[in-house]
Amino acid sequence: MNTATTFAVEEPKLLPGDLAMWFFIFMELLVFGIAFIGYAVMRLQNIEMFNKYQLTLNTEFGAANTMLLITSSYFVVRAVHAIKLNKVRYCYYWLYAAIAGGAGFLILKAFEYQDKFSAGISLSTNTFYMFYLSLTMFHFLHVILGMIILLAVAIKAQKGAYNATNYTGVEAGASYWHMVDLVWIVLFPLVYIIR
Amino acid sequence: MKSYYNIHTIWIAMLVLTLSTYAIGKMGFHGAGIVLLLLATVLIKGFLIIRDFMELNGVSLLWRAIMYGWLWVTTSAIAISYLVSL
Repeated sequence: MNTATTFAVEEPKLLPGDLAMWFFIFMELLVFGIAFIGYAVMRLQNIEMFNKYQLTLNTEFGAANTMLLITSSYFVVRAVHAIKLNKVRYCYYWLYAAIAGGAGFLILKAFEYQDKFSAGISLSTNTFYMFYLSLTMFHFLHVILGMIILLAVAIKAQKGAYNATNYTGVEAGASYWHMVDLVWIVLFPLVYIIR
Repeated sequence: MKSYYNIHTIWIAMLVLTLSTYAIGKMGFHGAGIVLLLLATVLIKGFLIIRDFMELNGVSLLWRAIMYGWLWVTTSAIAISYLVSL
């Protein structure tokens, strides 16, 4: 008698969105990861300077920006859930809300930069400010790119390009936006808080 | 039974964790324990973003290894560099 038992093997889920977008995300994470480790290593050689000038940063704005990005990411999750339920209108409403969260982040960051630049601080002031400005500005540019991607997805959704069976574009845009959030989750405590 | 682990509670948990990070910074706490606590907060928030916002739970192990690996390697390297300076 054949006693062989068959087991149902569950196939892993596919990556949400587009594979090309994920390769882009992995590259971005690699660059940010190297930059974060670079910051930590450079701090080892300038601990007093890093601790002193870290205190000049506006932690209220840093925390508010973290909450804005997390909330914006949550809105994007709601947009993905909406399109999976074929609620197209809710999908682009949530996406526009997420873009507004990104805009709030940029406005707060602009105030922060204005404060630093008006005090004569620049990339060449010292090593700490070089890292602070270059890391946060590089991330700032990613927020702008993420908002452009979300805007393109929202407009396409509004034109009826996505539905419950075709939402790869929404997931791809969402994945990029979550990456922008993930990077800031590390950047905020690293540059503003940990000493 | 109603599950309290959902996207809304995850969002609120991450906001609370952010406020706790801000409060620790504002109160001027420092030392090895605080560094590890703050980085543990980063790990939890990063884990929630990867698992529940990016929805990578259940995808191939390779993709999860890349994402969680990035988070672990980055935070571990930061932890080591800060702890050796204390």
